Amino acid sequence: MEILHLENVSFRYPKAAVNALDGVSFSVQSGEFVVVCGASGCGKTTLLRLLKRALAPAGERSGEICYRGTAQSALPERTEAGEIGYVLQNPDSQIVTDKVWHELAFGLENLGLPTEVIRRRVGEMASYFGIQELFRSDTDALSGGQKQLLNLASVMVMQPRLLLLDEPTGQLDPIAASDFIATLRKLNSELGLTILLVEHRLEEVFPIADKVLLMDGGHVLLYDTPRAVGQKLGAEHPMQLSLPSAVRIYNALGIDDVCPLTVREGRDFLERHFPPAEPTDDADASYAHNDEVALEMKNVFFRYERSLPDVLRGASLCVYKGEFYCLLGGNGTGKTTTLNVLAGLNRAYRGKVRIAGRPIGDYKNGALYRGNLALLPQNPQTVFVRDCLRDDLVELLEAQGVAKDEREKRIAAVAEKLGIVPLLDKHPYDLSGGEQQKCAIAKMLLLEPKILLLDEPTKGLDAHAKQVLRGVLQALKADGITILMVTHDVEFAAENADRCALFFDGEVLSADVPERFFAENNFYTTAANRLARSFWKNAVTCKQVVEYARAALRRPTGEGGETE
Amino acid sequence: MKAFANYHPAVLLLYFLSVLLVGMFITNPVIQLTMLLGAVLFCIMCTPSGRSAGGIAFYVSMFLLVAVTNPLFSHNGVTPLFYLNGNPVTLEAFVYGAAIAVMVVGVMLWCRCYSAVMTSDKFLYLFGRAIPKLALVLSMALRFIPMFKRQLHKVSRAQKAMGLYSSKSLVDKFRSALRVFLAMISWSLENAIDTSASMKARGYGLPGRTRFSLFRFRAADGVLAAVSVLLLGLTLVGTAAGATAFDYYPRISELPLTPFAVAVYAAFGVLSFLPFIIEIREAFVWKYYISKM
Repeated sequence: MEILHLENVSFRYPKAAVNALDGVSFSVQSGEFVVVCGASGCGKTTLLRLLKRALAPAGERSGEICYRGTAQSALPERTEAGEIGYVLQNPDSQIVTDKVWHELAFGLENLGLPTEVIRRRVGEMASYFGIQELFRSDTDALSGGQKQLLNLASVMVMQPRLLLLDEPTGQLDPIAASDFIATLRKLNSELGLTILLVEHRLEEVFPIADKVLLMDGGHVLLYDTPRAVGQKLGAEHPMQLSLPSAVRIYNALGIDDVCPLTVREGRDFLERHFPPAEPTDDADASYAHNDEVALEMKNVFFRYERSLPDVLRGASLCVYKGEFYCLLGGNGTGKTTTLNVLAGLNRAYRGKVRIAGRPIGDYKNGALYRGNLALLPQNPQTVFVRDCLRDDLVELLEAQGVAKDEREKRIAAVAEKLGIVPLLDKHPYDLSGGEQQKCAIAKMLLLEPKILLLDEPTKGLDAHAKQVLRGVLQALKADGITILMVTHDVEFAAENADRCALFFDGEVLSADVPERFFAENNFYTTAANRLARSFWKNAVTCKQVVEYARAALRRPTGEGGETE
Repeated sequence: MKAFANYHPAVLLLYFLSVLLVGMFITNPVIQLTMLLGAVLFCIMCTPSGRSAGGIAFYVSMFLLVAVTNPLFSHNGVTPLFYLNGNPVTLEAFVYGAAIAVMVVGVMLWCRCYSAVMTSDKFLYLFGRAIPKLALVLSMALRFIPMFKRQLHKVSRAQKAMGLYSSKSLVDKFRSALRVFLAMISWSLENAIDTSASMKARGYGLPGRTRFSLFRFRAADGVLAAVSVLLLGLTLVGTAAGATAFDYYPRISELPLTPFAVAVYAAFGVLSFLPFIIEIREAFVWKYYISKM
């Protein structure tokens, strides 16, 4: 049965020059799992919001949206509220009340259900989601992943038929994101719930979707099964970057076969076209680096309070000048704490911390932050305090005592370099995640740091924004700036880092070049590497896999395993 | 401290009001000391072991302060002990000071127990009945405050890591705090947009909203309520009848010990120790259940 039908829907925001949506038509069958994707600004959020009448943005609209055969405008409010669920991106801000049980009951209270019914439904949902231990907790005490599950559960108690989700995993770490996606899959297969999910991390959701709706500039570019979308999307299309590694490798190689979606299918695909061989291991063992050490930690111990356990337990780290160093590791292992210790925000109670060769204690009264080191926090929003980006940057220079005409010059130079000139007069909160990140980096650059510490800069960014960030960071590196980045993003680290290290149990382990670092890991590695490791052990990124594969194709069969 | 706190919020509120009413308005020393003792026992049950040393010091010094202040300023009474700057310091004033101190510290301790037992959700449940909108707003505020604090901490740190206004001068500190605060307002508004979307998406604003709570009025709640009312009634009747009348000025009167007065003391004693009795009973019941496991 058709649950949702759109006929030629167009939408234009007030005062906008072009349509945000332009002639969008598609229909969704009951029980389908549809992934909506597209570059940022393609209209996917607008589309999703239009589907939920209570959240529809103001603007000019034409065309017809039908929910279960009824025009959206004719739907009774109660039906609309209960049957169409909506989950937003930020796990924190959509929680309304202070207790988990109250949050679960909130929607049902709004529907005016009696206490006994609410009690039963809430209890049932808490059990289904496995959050009964948290039932009486404060909502604030939950982790990000738990918060997002709670948001999902508090929508599910209303027993919706159609669930709309707007990048629900954007702010979650990879493990919490996987959990969330797994829950969605369970809801879809066990309850037959129809799901429309806007996502940019497609590696996991692509294979489990029934349909993919690919949008481009307010149009529907493709609406088909994932396999067909993977096959039809041109190898040069910018959206390729967001697709799962298997699809990207398949498209780049251009071999005539069925499009693989998962790591397993990708490996099968390679096995069909490349002769089996012992995996090659040809990474260069030597690593050329500057001899000067920019950041050094030796046997550092840190704990937040005297009575709490150590977060850093004899952590040692050495980052050379001009290096791009990535620190990977699970959640809550102390990666961010390490950054804070290096930035002088947390003080180690034991061990040595040296910045550019001098003990951190030698930098007094903020000298550390003037021309030495800058820390970009996880949420770039926290960097800005003014209503206009330009004022914000001016203020920073003012506080440093830079002369007036000099200020403008320096801001213009930095803005030029990062390509944020058109953003200078905007409110920092009005910028997209990627733009905010760039502007925050611009602010850091005004401090003229030699060392840049970054805390999960790729969080919530889509493939395009990551690509832009990558360009920015590589340019900084070319200017001789040392970069230490803490991240969950294995793919980004593999593509960009000079060296990667794993943070585990309060220590920094096994720092090495990405080709060796990821080749040694079995689980904690890129999808491309997992897919191709039985052929080319050191192929870590999609690009590298494609290069190795092409090299192998050029050689006569049977010698695919030889190295050049 | 679980068994008592698990009673219905309305009953708990009734209980606390009864004790405080008697404790604050009946100046009989037996009643006052009973109240203080009840509060001390309750507090010991409330606070986890090994965490009370600082609190005790505060309450003892509070007690001494109040007890000593009264005879210094009040010169009523007929039994001078000694003269200070030509003013008599009387025995009555000393005793009255001590009585006031018992009351002040006792009431403070009861309030402390109140805040330990009547958590935010119970409070909201009780007062949300009268004003449902206010209850929701309060619940949202309780949700928002810790989130706000966390964000404030993050912004302050981010600013500090840029070396902004990190000098120790007061003007700089003030400017820095002001900037961060202004930024927090923008953040709060931004946050509120999401929250209101999340509320609207779940049908907030539909007519006929109901209120859900986890609290249920059980038979035991009825019993506790009845017992509290009965004991309170007995105490009040006794007071009204003058059975517990006691004067500090001009001369300390004799402590009433008629059978009626003793009955009133006993009634209030049981009322004061009710939480303690309930806990002890629960502990025994629990022991019994454990023996059957």
